[in-house]
Amino acid sequence: MELIEHPPIFRFPSIPDQVLYMWIVMGILLVVAVVATRRLQMVPRGSQNFMEVVLEQFVNEIDETIGHGGRRYLPLIATLGLFILTSNLMGLVPGLIAPTANLNTTAACALIVFFTYHWIGVRKQGLVPYLKHFAGPVPTALKPLMFVIEIISHCARPLSLSLRLFGNMMAGHILLAIFFFMMGLDGMLGWAFSGSLGGILIGAPAAAILVVFVIGFLLPLKILVALIQTFIFCKLAMLYIAAAVEETEHH
Amino acid sequence: MRRILTLTLMAVLTAPAMAWAAEAGAGDLPKAFAFLAAGIGFGLAAGLCGLGQGRAAGSAVDAMARQPGAIARIQTAMLLGLAFIESLVLFVFVIAVILLFVKS
Repeated sequence: MELIEHPPIFRFPSIPDQVLYMWIVMGILLVVAVVATRRLQMVPRGSQNFMEVVLEQFVNEIDETIGHGGRRYLPLIATLGLFILTSNLMGLVPGLIAPTANLNTTAACALIVFFTYHWIGVRKQGLVPYLKHFAGPVPTALKPLMFVIEIISHCARPLSLSLRLFGNMMAGHILLAIFFFMMGLDGMLGWAFSGSLGGILIGAPAAAILVVFVIGFLLPLKILVALIQTFIFCKLAMLYIAAAVEETEHH
Repeated sequence: MRRILTLTLMAVLTAPAMAWAAEAGAGDLPKAFAFLAAGIGFGLAAGLCGLGQGRAAGSAVDAMARQPGAIARIQTAMLLGLAFIESLVLFVFVIAVILLFVKS
C-alpha cells in the first residue's frame, strides 16, 4: 500500500488519519448547518434552499419506507446520511482520504444503527414481546431454532452494513491510487519525461489516455458509488427501523 | 476435451508462481499462496457477482419496460438487491486485502 499510495496531506502526529478527517467532515457539516439555519426564511434562498432540498429527499424516503410516524427518526438518518455522503465525496479529492474508507468509522455508524433500532423496538413493544417476535410465526417446536437463526441474522446486519460501505470506498480508493500511480511520475508520465524514444512515443499517449479514462470514467463512477452507497446505508437503516416499529401493528 | 485444456492451461499459468515460491524458500511460501488465493478468489467472486447482478438488473429493466409507472419503486428494489449481491464480493475483497497487506 505504501508503495503506491501517498499519505494524506494534513496529518497530525498521534491522531489516526481517519479520525482527523472525520473531524474535518464534522466541521464542514457544522459550518453548513450554521450557515443554512442562521437566517431562516419562509421562502428559502441560497444555502438554506440547498439544505432543504437535500433533507426533502431524506423525508421522502422515510415517508415511503417507514410511513406514519417515521419522521421522528429523520435526525438520526439524515445525520448518518450527510456524514457518510460528505466523507465519501471527500475521498475523491486527491490528497484527502475518505473517513469511510476505514473499517472503524463504518463500524461505528453500523453499530449506532444496530443499537438504535433494537432500542426503538424494545421501547415500542417492551422487551419480552420484542424478543418473542424474533421466533416468528412458526410452530412451537421450531421456535428455538428460528430464534437462534434470527439472532444470527440480526448480528450479521451491522457486519454487512459496515463491510459494504468500507469495501466500496476502499476498493475505489485503491483503484484510484493504482491509476494515479500508473499515470504519475513513477509511471507513464515519468517514462515520457525520461527522454527515451519509447517513453516519448508510448509513455506520453498512454499517460494522456489514462488521464482521459480517470477523469471521464473513473471519477464519475466513484461519485455515483458514493451517492449509491449513502442511499443504501440510509435505506437499510430505515428498513431496519421500519421492521422494528412495524411489528407492533401486527400483534 | 476443452475442460482438460482449460485445466492444463490453468496449471501451466500457476506453475511459475509455484516454482518461484519453491525457489524463494519455505518462509515465503504462505505469502505466495496468499497472493494466489487473493487473485483467484477475487476473480471468482467478481465473475459470479457479474452473473448475479446481470440477472438482477436484467429482470429489473424488464419489469421497468412492462410497468413504466412503477419505475421509481423498481429502481429502489433493484439498487437494494444489487447492494446485497455486491456485499458478498466485498467480503471477498476484504479477505483479499487482508491476505495481501497484513503481514502474517
